[in-house]
Amino acid sequence: MQRISIDPITRLEGHGKIEIFLDDEGNFANSYFQIPELRGFERFCVGRQVEEVPILTNRICGVCPEAHHMAGAKAVDAVYHVEPPRTGKMLRELLYSAFYCTDHTTHFYALAGPDFVMGPTAPVAERNILGVIHKVGLEIGGQVLQMRKYGHTVVEMIGGRKVHPCTSIPGGLTKGITEEQRQEIEKMGRWAIEFAQFTIKLFNDVVLGNKEYVDLILGDIYTHHTHYIGTVDENNKVNFYDGKVSVVDPEGKRLGKYAANEYTDWIAEHVEPWTYLKFPYLKKVGWKGFVDGKDSGVYMATPLSRLNAADGMATPLAQAEYEKFYSTMGGKPVHQRLAIHWARLIELLYAAERWVELATDPEITSDNYRTIPTATPTEGVGIVEAPRGTLTHHYTTDDRGITTKVNLIVGTTNNYAPIQMSTKKAAQSLIKKGGVISEGLLNMVEMAFRAYDPCFGCATHTLPGQMPLEIVIRDANSITVDILKQYC
Amino acid sequence: MKTLVIGLGNPILGDDGVGWQIAHELQQIKQIPSDVTIECLAIGGISLMEALIDYDRAIIIDAIVTHQVPIGSTNYFKLEDLPNPSSGHMSSAHDTSLLTALHVGQSLGAHLPEDISVVTIESQKVNEFSEILTPAVAAAVPVAIRIILDLLIESNPEKASKNDSVKR
Repeated sequence: MQRISIDPITRLEGHGKIEIFLDDEGNFANSYFQIPELRGFERFCVGRQVEEVPILTNRICGVCPEAHHMAGAKAVDAVYHVEPPRTGKMLRELLYSAFYCTDHTTHFYALAGPDFVMGPTAPVAERNILGVIHKVGLEIGGQVLQMRKYGHTVVEMIGGRKVHPCTSIPGGLTKGITEEQRQEIEKMGRWAIEFAQFTIKLFNDVVLGNKEYVDLILGDIYTHHTHYIGTVDENNKVNFYDGKVSVVDPEGKRLGKYAANEYTDWIAEHVEPWTYLKFPYLKKVGWKGFVDGKDSGVYMATPLSRLNAADGMATPLAQAEYEKFYSTMGGKPVHQRLAIHWARLIELLYAAERWVELATDPEITSDNYRTIPTATPTEGVGIVEAPRGTLTHHYTTDDRGITTKVNLIVGTTNNYAPIQMSTKKAAQSLIKKGGVISEGLLNMVEMAFRAYDPCFGCATHTLPGQMPLEIVIRDANSITVDILKQYC
Repeated sequence: MKTLVIGLGNPILGDDGVGWQIAHELQQIKQIPSDVTIECLAIGGISLMEALIDYDRAIIIDAIVTHQVPIGSTNYFKLEDLPNPSSGHMSSAHDTSLLTALHVGQSLGAHLPEDISVVTIESQKVNEFSEILTPAVAAAVPVAIRIILDLLIESNPEKASKNDSVKR
């Protein structure tokens, strides 16, 4: 038995690792995708004043602290049985829309860009951010930085701090915004809409205009027929901040919608002996293993899932792109995993439009941004759509508001089963007996999990920032015969 | 010279919070020149590079785990002396190294500090949630502060940089 290990190493997050086993003949035997977790976070949050938890949870990870802050804030509202006033909700969603623009932009240009702009089989020395900048040009690179700056600025204005907001408290926020700030936010949002439209055009030109990429997206290697979940508003349109979680089957039929406090009726977790992380699945369908189909409870929660689980987008430009997406892809739902990248850009445009919609609402500068809680705290669940999947925070407290139990289901955890299935299928399809296992080929296996934008948490401030992907090839006796190193 | 001092780390990951503690203590020291800004950050790569835009000089304080020196050892070097194994690539699923991010920023014409120093404290527990520093790491806090004050107040970075590997 030969073993190939694709092993990204970091200091804080541990590492995600793909282990590929070959048999004595050199054929694919099996693969496992392992995600270690940081130790003890949920335990660390117990015994604290519950309103402190949204500040703590945004330290889980430097990638999407805004998402943890929002899910935590909503859970704390529920614990205190308090509903923020309309302005409070809008300010949170405005912050969140700006954050989405930053996050989705970074993913497309820095993370997916090397695969699609440079190409999956481009030499590894060119398949990186610097290569992307060289190819798309310095001006566009500068706009990416500008988009990030605007997003961070809005988060700081409303959230009190860049990246790690801290202003959401039970029943709303600690502060509102002035008319002067509103005008600045609106101006930045209008720029973001143009940037998002430009990015979709770039995707059309560079990716959809290239037959090789289109074949890759539409091909069977990256296709799975699973259930999909995503939050929708009262009109069943995609919403990142509020609403109910819609669940659709692989044929697109809606099985139902659940409110935050009903999540345990819908989601259960399966345990495997080879990994610490649990595999969530749809309770009402049941766990049937890592298999596709209507009878398998495996579901996906990504930008593509949100589009599949909704009836459309709530803003006009994004809705037009949504319609174009499904007509090009041949109907709904779309099962091709690499189409997640396209769906992400439609969400980028929606987030920018929503940013302007909220910034121009007459009540956004109102002083009525908080409802003071008066009820005794008990238990509450908060759900938002994190960029990489539905995020659930569940807190239980004593009657003083001290936490007694904390449970989190993060975006990437939702997708653990589909990522395992996708990496296995890609490895199985690409690694053939007698074939050379090249860097390009391993990158195509990595692309299977990269599409899900998986987040292993807390890896963002490592100096010097080393994270090679190490590929260890072992012979039948597990003796290392070769070590290859490459980078994402 | 517009200078940014950054305490870097995650304040709830044990010794990884040492950079924050040092930065907090520096904020209390009155002799620090007025053109020096002191911040606590829990970011890296591209975001950290963006935080450095429009500064002439930066000092980054962070926990480090080398297993080559005793816990609590304090070290000082220039950022460019660090290896950059990411060499243009992503360094995690969502980010790249600071050196690569600086390269990107410079390519795009951002004004970034030419002089970036790194002060490190050899740490023990950086993977378990805790707000408490290991005793040997806590004992290194005043040593690191002395090094940073030497850099800031002696205001001769050229001279200071020659004291490579200040180990106590």
